[in-house]
Amino acid sequence: MIVEIRDLRLVLGGRPVLNGVDLTMRAGDIYGFLGPNGAGKSTTISVLAGLRPPASGKVEVLGRDPVAERTWIHRRIGVLSEQSGFYEWMAAAEYLKWFSGLSGKRIEEAEATLRLRRVGLDGRNRAPIGTYSRGMKQRLGLARALLNDPELLILDEPTNGLDPRGRREIHDVLLEMSVNDGVGILLCTHLLDDVDRLCTHLGILSRGKTVMEGPVDDLLAGQRAAARYRLRVPIPESAVNLPAGVRVASRSGEWWHVELSGAGDPATAWRELLDSGLRVEEIHQEGGGLEELYLAATETREAV
Amino acid sequence: MNPAWWIARKESGEILVNGRGLAWLFALTVIMSVLSLLLVSNTELSLLDNAQVVYMVMGTITALGALFAVVLGADAVAGERERGSLMPLLLTSVTPSEIVSGKMGGQAAGWTVMYLLGLPYLWAVGSSGQNLLQAIAYLALFGTLTVLGFGFFALGLSARFKSVRTALLTSLITWMLLASPLLLGPSLRQSTVGKGFDAANPFSASLNAFDSVVIDSQPFAMQTGRLAVALAWLVLTAWYAVRSVRKMEL
Repeated sequence: MIVEIRDLRLVLGGRPVLNGVDLTMRAGDIYGFLGPNGAGKSTTISVLAGLRPPASGKVEVLGRDPVAERTWIHRRIGVLSEQSGFYEWMAAAEYLKWFSGLSGKRIEEAEATLRLRRVGLDGRNRAPIGTYSRGMKQRLGLARALLNDPELLILDEPTNGLDPRGRREIHDVLLEMSVNDGVGILLCTHLLDDVDRLCTHLGILSRGKTVMEGPVDDLLAGQRAAARYRLRVPIPESAVNLPAGVRVASRSGEWWHVELSGAGDPATAWRELLDSGLRVEEIHQEGGGLEELYLAATETREAV
Repeated sequence: MNPAWWIARKESGEILVNGRGLAWLFALTVIMSVLSLLLVSNTELSLLDNAQVVYMVMGTITALGALFAVVLGADAVAGERERGSLMPLLLTSVTPSEIVSGKMGGQAAGWTVMYLLGLPYLWAVGSSGQNLLQAIAYLALFGTLTVLGFGFFALGLSARFKSVRTALLTSLITWMLLASPLLLGPSLRQSTVGKGFDAANPFSASLNAFDSVVIDSQPFAMQTGRLAVALAWLVLTAWYAVRSVRKMEL
């Protein structure tokens, strides 16, 4: 395990902020850490980074206590925090060189340029950071978090302010690190698209408590029973015999709104539909995805 | 290389490269130029003797240096917190002690620049007198202890308060209270309250030492009590800054 949190509790200013956070990560996992605003995601990150001691519960990062061995852990993790300011009068390459010096592993100009290129920030190495756009600062923040070649990368909203191409580039960098280097990535985000593209595991936090945790595939499989699908079928419904477990809930022109009853595999249902001679031109999932999973998990907790 | 050195280097760069730091230094040199011009004119008209003028310039450099240190100190931690650059610093392997040492190094660099900028003015008003070298040496000694003490005090407040404004306001009020000997004048400082204030005030210790050496030409042996007050001020404020940074909250 590179991160293990069990029943983490934290009180700030006499108010319980975290009331039972659980989180387990292995090397190479990309863990999506989701939750409504104020759920305690950033606070959990600060506990993981050893910046706040927990009131109770077990917290281990890379097998060690983050408060007692903060310096050891900081040498091996990279964090892009929500509040990620820079010295705006410095140039990006100069900033990376300076920042690397703090960890005792000072990099030279060429290395700084390479690292900036990796996050898509080449060509403006010498411009003051103050002239950078928000997206460029996010990229620089990521380059800073990667400076010590971390075993664990904690990213709080890393694709904020990035355009679609920029997001895709950052996704590629993260996937490469996870797959090739076995870096564990804790991704704190509100963008479900990021989770959908990247994450192998998911944890949902609501009011300071983990309400759902596990591999994304397993969690989504549990949701499939409730899934609806939109099929484009250019023939009348009466002309075919639908396979068992497939029910047309409603129709709108060529579009059929279909429900799958039971825990059947959708792929089998589609194969049976096609084998029955039905011409299905498009299939879209409606519900049963990450969004529903997230809403269901957080609504349940909010209602308590 | 020690991380504290890197932080000190960044802090110094901020003073010399950042527009805000340069604007402060420019404003301070304008004030010193105007003051020196007035004082030289007064000397030439025989309204003030040379030693008094040197004493006044030393006091002004110390007061302005302390003001500059207060501004730098108040921004040192609270400003980084407000601009979001404190968190990345705390997420490195740098310890709070190294952060505070680096910040103190930045304060020292700021005062060194201020001192060096003040020397030509001191020379301009004191080159025709007899105690210029003593003035330069005592400004280095007492000025450093007093000015850095103010910087460290503001740095401690900056770590405890979450806003620059609160830290700056509190530091400025303290600076004005302690710097009042500059404004009160010698007669008021001879009263009972004034004497008590003088005994414990680092500004008074410095001013009295300047007065004693430059105007009265007294030896170093006469300044040990004043030196002890200024030194105690520096040690206390440094302790306060270190303790505050160690205990600071996110």
